[in-house]
Amino acid sequence: MAVTPTAALVQTLNGIQFGFILFMIASGLTVILGILDVLNLAHGELFSLGAYTAIGVFGFIIGIIGPPGDGVVGTAVFILAVLAAVLVTAAILLPVGTLFEAVFLRQIYDRDQVYQLVLTFTLLLILLDVKKFIWGDSSIRTDAVYSAINAIPTSELVGLNYPTYNVFVILVGSAVVAGLFWFFERTKTGRIIRATAIDREMATAIGVSTDRVFTLVFALGAFLAGFAGAMAVPPTSATLEMGTNPLVLSFVVIVIGGLGSLRGAFVGALLVGVIRSWMITLYPPGEIAAPFAIMALILLVKPEGLFGTWGETA
Amino acid sequence: MYWDTPMKRTTTDHDSEGIGRRQLLSAVGGSAVAAALAGCSTLLSDGEAADQGGQSGGEISDEPIQAGLLTFTRGAPGVLGIQAQRGAELAVQRINEAGGIGGQREIELDVVNEGSNPLDSYNQFIEEGKEVTFGPISSGTHSQIAPEVEKNEVINVSTDGTVTTLYEETVPDPTYSFRFQNYDIMEVVTMAREAVERIGADNISTVAGVNPGYSFGEDEMRVFTQAIQKLTGAEVVYEGFPELGASDMANHITSINNEEPDVTFSSLWGGDVTTFVRQANANNMFENTTVFGTTLYSAAGDVPGDALAGTDIYSGSRNYYWGLPALGNWQPGRELFDAATQQEGVTVPTAHYMSGYGAVTAWATAVEKAIDLLGTYPSQEQIAQVLEGHGFFTPAGYHNIAEDHQGASNSFAGKMVYDDDLGAARLEDVNTYAATETAPPPGVTGSDWLDSWSA
Repeated sequence: MAVTPTAALVQTLNGIQFGFILFMIASGLTVILGILDVLNLAHGELFSLGAYTAIGVFGFIIGIIGPPGDGVVGTAVFILAVLAAVLVTAAILLPVGTLFEAVFLRQIYDRDQVYQLVLTFTLLLILLDVKKFIWGDSSIRTDAVYSAINAIPTSELVGLNYPTYNVFVILVGSAVVAGLFWFFERTKTGRIIRATAIDREMATAIGVSTDRVFTLVFALGAFLAGFAGAMAVPPTSATLEMGTNPLVLSFVVIVIGGLGSLRGAFVGALLVGVIRSWMITLYPPGEIAAPFAIMALILLVKPEGLFGTWGETA
Repeated sequence: MYWDTPMKRTTTDHDSEGIGRRQLLSAVGGSAVAAALAGCSTLLSDGEAADQGGQSGGEISDEPIQAGLLTFTRGAPGVLGIQAQRGAELAVQRINEAGGIGGQREIELDVVNEGSNPLDSYNQFIEEGKEVTFGPISSGTHSQIAPEVEKNEVINVSTDGTVTTLYEETVPDPTYSFRFQNYDIMEVVTMAREAVERIGADNISTVAGVNPGYSFGEDEMRVFTQAIQKLTGAEVVYEGFPELGASDMANHITSINNEEPDVTFSSLWGGDVTTFVRQANANNMFENTTVFGTTLYSAAGDVPGDALAGTDIYSGSRNYYWGLPALGNWQPGRELFDAATQQEGVTVPTAHYMSGYGAVTAWATAVEKAIDLLGTYPSQEQIAQVLEGHGFFTPAGYHNIAEDHQGASNSFAGKMVYDDDLGAARLEDVNTYAATETAPPPGVTGSDWLDSWSA
């Protein structure tokens, strides 16, 4: 199949956009794994919970401000409202994460990892039933965001046929990446978290409350999952099973990047996104296999992943 | 609005007196149950329906018939499965209101989610002593349970599970396994013919496909390729198979935009249709191709109006489209539509609604016929014998279960548009295709039949 330069560019952008969504999910998973040493099987359900919650929050906030108004100001207000809705959704997930860590996980840190897997799988099933109880069996969606943002001209201005919502995801995703690295590299809380990850006993000895750090990290993971869910849902629908595939792909991403490495999650997510995108372009049947093939290759040549584990840098 | 058009009676005063009970019953299959399932029970005078279940001669117990339905009751596939469930429930309700099978035996329908272990759920039905099972929806599930149906010797009338090879390879000589709905080759050939009808064979030189990434989607694309190449000689320029429930179809859409095929074929269904149409519209895909799909209309109640605006989509609707014949001219269709839209989870009844309704109707009318012939309640083997070659009527029209155990009915296809008044999508300018145009003759495999077409 001959691919035109424009199609090649759009496919690459598709891959980057998908990669940023993957990073938003995988970052929470890898931070929890890197610092708490817990593989959170319920992370996909937190992502899904964010998607479901976002539909209500979008409806509420956009119901107040209405559709985008004319002109730059009207457009800017609408985009800010969407961003606010995404942040509110993510914030709603904070107490959920706090509750999970403080009530359930904290009781079993000293036990074998298999207990953590069983517990987080139990939480996965509980969240599945909670979603079913609240939102029912059928898929739900929001119509307020995707079309409205796509109506804002962006790529058309440079002669490209590319949905504005995807541009929005790339820009917001870039901001999330920058924000996370700034948080872990530049803020005191971020450094304390990293210090706890590097040496838990030493951190405790110098007065760091590991309980608080662990709760904060798990809540942060839930926040990122909720954020990702809110960003991912407008072009599609929220369904009960939607947490499964992102969880599996997030595992792939963090294995490629290095278990617990934020930097690795970023590179891994973009790698998976772009390679998957090109695989669909050049050999569509390889779509599902491509991410796993990359993972297998990395495990063979660099078993610790591209960036190793959480350490001196994020 | 056309669906609010006052119902035009299809009978005259003379009819109700002149045709009377006997002729009407004879016309629809010989019993009040058949009349009720055909949507004609209101043509009987008050009280007659409940008195005319069947001619059992009092040799039939009044023990309820335990029946099981395997269908998707949640998640993305629930968009189809719940339709089938509601259709089956309405059929059962009508049977019971008409006095039950043979005028004695009401049906108790147990609905179980097809889910991840459908074979276990099916076996549970058998262990519980179900006298008949209906479903499944999935082709994969059907391939699993059909051999079990033959082992257990308990009739199963599938609602869907429309994989072409089921009665060609998986269970080539079935006795107890039947399928009501038009199967894959029928709906795919319908859409190949529809593409030629709408665009013209001379204008189709390239085709692409975006189909679900499992056996159903691969089967449909393979059959479509074979059919469209015979009809037009077109070249396939792209085939994409997104996994079920995929949230991102942008890559497939970009590939189609790159190739600009004359026709894009799709067997996406349920929530995947909504995702595909929304993202395709956002990427201006409909400026580059016309989409023909077998099951796109399954998302009629889900796909939003803004996503369909400016699209160029033609969808099949298997063996039932609620708007044809026009409801104002078709009392059985009108009554079914009204009853269906009052059920939970049914915005408009789609083909999968008829899958459930028709599967129950096929079995129930066959049992009634067997009772009529035998004067007693028939065995599983006797019901199976009657089902072979059994013709019956539903509000969708006339159906036949052929000797190969495959149902054959007319197929429908039309342009998919959004209807603000309906609050759902509808089909516009609907074409009807006879089974002889879409299905191979008995004893011939789908592939051999397509191969035999002259170019």
